[in-house]
Amino acid sequence: MAQDSVGFSSDYQFWMQKLSLWDQAFTLETQKDTCLHLPRFQEFLRQMYEVLKEMDSNMIIERFPTIGQLLAKTCWNPFILAFDESQKILLWCLCCLINKEPQNSEELKLNSWTRGLLSHVLSAFKFDTKEVDLFIQGLGYAPADYYPGLLKNMVLSLVSELRENHLNGFNTQRRMAPEKIRFLSQVCVPLVTLPDIQPLVEALLTYHGHEPQEVLWPEFFDAVNEAFLLKKISLPTSAVICLWLRHLPSLEKATLHLFEKLISSERNFLRRIECFLKDSLLPEAACYPAIFRIVDEMFRYALLETDGAPEVLAAIQVFTWCFVEALEKQNKQLKFTLKTYFPYASPSLVMVLLQHPKDIPQKLWHQPLKHISEMLREIVEDQTHGSYGGPFECWFLFIHFGGWADIAAEQLVMSEAEPPEALLWLLAFSHSPRDRSQQRAQTMVEVKAVLSHLKKLLRSPTLSARDLQAAAAESQDRDPRPPSCQQLIRHLLLNFLLWAPGGHAIAREVITLMAPTDELSHEIAGFLDQTLYRWDRLCLEAPRSRKLARELLAELHAHIQHRPAAHGAAVHAAGSPRSRDETMRLIRRGTSSEDEP
Amino acid sequence: MESLLQHFERFSEVLAVSRTTHVRTWDPATVRRALQWARYLRHVHRRFGRHVRIRMALERRLQNQWRLEGGSGSSPVPGLTNFQALERCDLLLSLRLLENQALGDAAYHYLLQELFPGPGVPDADPETLQGSLARLARRRSAVHLLRFSGYGENSVLEEDSVLKTQAELLLARLREVPKAEAEGPSRFLSILWERLPQNNFLKVIAAALLLPPSSPRPQEEELDPGTPKTLADGDQELVRWLLTKSDAMAAFCRNLPAGLLTSVAGRHPELSRVYLGLLADWARHLHYDLQKGIWIGTESQHVPWEELYGKFQSLCQAPPPLKDDVLAALESCKAKDGDFQVRGLSIWTDLLLALGCGS
Repeated sequence: MAQDSVGFSSDYQFWMQKLSLWDQAFTLETQKDTCLHLPRFQEFLRQMYEVLKEMDSNMIIERFPTIGQLLAKTCWNPFILAFDESQKILLWCLCCLINKEPQNSEELKLNSWTRGLLSHVLSAFKFDTKEVDLFIQGLGYAPADYYPGLLKNMVLSLVSELRENHLNGFNTQRRMAPEKIRFLSQVCVPLVTLPDIQPLVEALLTYHGHEPQEVLWPEFFDAVNEAFLLKKISLPTSAVICLWLRHLPSLEKATLHLFEKLISSERNFLRRIECFLKDSLLPEAACYPAIFRIVDEMFRYALLETDGAPEVLAAIQVFTWCFVEALEKQNKQLKFTLKTYFPYASPSLVMVLLQHPKDIPQKLWHQPLKHISEMLREIVEDQTHGSYGGPFECWFLFIHFGGWADIAAEQLVMSEAEPPEALLWLLAFSHSPRDRSQQRAQTMVEVKAVLSHLKKLLRSPTLSARDLQAAAAESQDRDPRPPSCQQLIRHLLLNFLLWAPGGHAIAREVITLMAPTDELSHEIAGFLDQTLYRWDRLCLEAPRSRKLARELLAELHAHIQHRPAAHGAAVHAAGSPRSRDETMRLIRRGTSSEDEP
Repeated sequence: MESLLQHFERFSEVLAVSRTTHVRTWDPATVRRALQWARYLRHVHRRFGRHVRIRMALERRLQNQWRLEGGSGSSPVPGLTNFQALERCDLLLSLRLLENQALGDAAYHYLLQELFPGPGVPDADPETLQGSLARLARRRSAVHLLRFSGYGENSVLEEDSVLKTQAELLLARLREVPKAEAEGPSRFLSILWERLPQNNFLKVIAAALLLPPSSPRPQEEELDPGTPKTLADGDQELVRWLLTKSDAMAAFCRNLPAGLLTSVAGRHPELSRVYLGLLADWARHLHYDLQKGIWIGTESQHVPWEELYGKFQSLCQAPPPLKDDVLAALESCKAKDGDFQVRGLSIWTDLLLALGCGS
C-alpha cells in the first residue's frame, strides 16, 4: 500500500507539471502533447478517484493541498473533457470534494468553488452570444437541447466543406487550407469514439487532397484504428481501407490484433477463424495489392518464427479463401493482375492454384493436382529457376491454397489405382518442404507402401484396428520415420477411416491407439475440423463420412477439455508445446510497430 | 388516469420551481421526491409510448399550459410540452438543480450522490442520467474544439451552423404549439417577436425558411387519425405570420442581407410578392437631387439608394422565375411612371439602367 501511494504521489507531481505546461500555452505543440497523453491521464484520473472516494473533503485538502489547481486545470482543458470518459471521472472526483455540512467559512468556500467547477464541466465553453442564449431560453429550451443539434450541424458543414474541397480541386478560393485539415484531424483525436463525430472522421479518412504529402496527423490514424479494433467506432469498409492505405502502422496493428485473436481463440474451429477474418475486414482490404503484400508478409513472418505452427497454416488458408471470395466480388471495380499479388510466383502456377475445385468435376481433380505437382517440382528441383524463389517460397505460395494437398491425400486413399508419382510428390512436399530429393524419395516410397496395404484393406469385410496399425507400421530395417512423415501417414489413415466402408466401426479404437498424447489429439482434431470445413466449402455430400467426422471431433474436444494442461499450447512442428504469449511475442518482433509496454 | 395527470401537473410546477431561489428550502428528502417523480414520468413515457389514448389525454392537458395571451411575464412555453418531453424530464430537472446556486449544501450533496453514483453501479436504465450528463459535457467540448480548429477565419460557416440549429429548434417548437384555434402559432411568434432580440430572430426565421423540406417525422404516424389538427409545416406558419405582421415583415426585408432575402424569396413566392411591394414603396420615397445628381430620401428612415440597388441587384441574379418576375415588375413600374429613358426623372428608369437591364 505504501508503495502504491509513493507511486501515486510521483504520478501526481508528473501530471501537475504537465497540466501547468498545457495550461500556459495553447500552441500546436502543447495540443499535440495533450492528445498523446490523454489515455494515460484518464487512467490517472481513475486512480485518483479510487484514492479520493475513501476520504472526506477535509482529508483530501490535507493530503493533496494542490488538488484544487489540478482539478481546475483539468476542467479548463477541452481536450481532456472531450476524451472518452474523462469528463465522467472528473465529475466523480469533484463530487468527492463536496461537503455535506460545511462547518466553517473555509468549507463553505470550498463547496462553492467546487460547485462552480462542476457547473463549468457540465456547461463548459459557452461561446454563444447573448442573443442566441435569449433565443433558446425564449423558446423554452435548455442547452441540453441546443448543443447536440449544434454539434450535428457543425459536423455536417465541415463534412460538406471537405467533400466540396475534394470536388472543387482547383478552385483555390473555396479550398480548405491543408493546415486547417491537419488541425481538424488533431482535434478529432480525443473525439474519435463520440458517435456524432463519426461522419467527420469518415470524411477525413476519405479526403484526397492535392498535396503531395499526407496532410492528416499520424496520431489521428492511430486513434481511429485503435477505436476501430476495439469496436468503439463503426466505419464503412471503404473508410477503413483508406485508413490502412494511408497509414502503414495501422495496418500492421490491425493484422497483429487479428493474429492475437486467431492464436488465442479455441483451436480447431476454422469456422470461427473465418468469422474473425471477415470481421477484421482484412480479406476485403487485401484486394488492394499493397495491403495484400503487407499482410502476406506478416503471415510469412509468423510462419517462419513459429516454425510452421498449424494455427498459422490454417489461418493463411482461410485468409486466402476469404480473400479470393472478396476478390471475385470486387471483380468489376478493381482490376489488378495476379502478378501484383504474387510477384515472386510463376503466373501459370498461381492461375492453376486459384481454380476452385467446385468448378471442376470430382473425377477430374487429379488433372489440376498433377499439373500443380509438376510445376512445383520443376521450380523446386531446377536450380536455375531462381526468379521464382527457392523451395520455401514455393511452399509458402502453395500452402495458401493448402486445400489441394488435402484433396490429394483423399484421392490417394480413395482410389483403387496405383498412386501417381505426382500426387505422392505433392504430399511429401507439402508436409516437408525442406527435404532434399533423397529424403523426399524415401518418404514417397514409405507412403506408397502404406497405401498399397490400405488398398488391400479397403474391401476387407473383417477390418480390425490391428490390421490398420500393421498397415501403418514402420518397417524395422529402415531408419525411423521423421515426424513430418509420421504426420502424413496419420492423415492417410484418418482419411481411410472416414472413407472406407469398414472404417467407421473401428475409428475410435484406431484413434485411441494413434493418439496417446494431447498434442496428437489436437492434431487429429485439427485434421477433422479442416476436413469438415473443406467439405462444406466444396459442397461435398458424403453424409456418412461427415457424420463420423463430426462425432469424432466432438469426442476429441470433450476429451481435450478434461485435460486443462493441454490448453494454451500451440504445437511446435516438432511436437514441443509453446505458449500463446510466446507465439505472439515472436510474431510482434518482426513488425515495425511495437506496442508500448 | 386522473392521478397520472395530477402527477404531471405537479411535476411541471416542480420543474418551474427548480430554477428559482425557492429551492433554498429544499432538503435532501425533497430532492429525492423530485427525482423519483421525474423517474416515474420517464417510466410512464416508456410504458405508454404506444398507448395512443393516454398520450392524447396527456398532451391535451399540456396544451392548456401554454400561455399565449400577450402581456404575461412568464414564458409562453410550458416546462413539458409534449409526451416526448417526458423522456428527458429527469435530465432537465437535474441540470436545473445543478446550476441553481440557491440549493443548500446538504440537498446538493444528495443530488450528486444520486446523479453520479460512480463506476460499477449496475444500471437498470440503459440510458442513465450519469451517462447523459457526461455525454452532454463531452459534446459541448466537441463543439468548442471544432469551432476552435475548424473555423478560425471562416466564421461564416460557424454562424450558419448556429443559425441552422436555432431554426431547427424554432420549427420543432412551432410543431408543438397548440393549433386548436389555428391562431396558436401566430400568437406564439408574436410573443417571441416582442421579447427576443429582433435581429437574431429575423435571421433565424430566414434560416428556417431555407431549411430543406423535412421528411415526415415518425411521431406523426402514431397520432390518432381523428384529431382535428392541421399538420401544416412549420415554415408555412412562419410565412403566414410574416404576411400578417407587417412591422416584422418590413424589418425582415430591411435588415437582412440582400443575398439571404433573395434566396428566401426564391423559395417562397408569397413572400417575394410582398418583398417586391415593399421595395416599390421604399423606392417611391426617394426623390432626385439635381445638384448632387443622386436619389435621396427626405427622412432618416428612408431606405437609401445604395441599399435599394443592392437588393434589386441580388434579385436580378436569382434564377428564374424570380428574376423574370422582378424585371417584369420593374418594367411595369417604369411604364406607369412615364416610361422615361433619361436619368433623373423616374427612379425606375435609373434602377433599370444601373442594373444594366434597361431597354
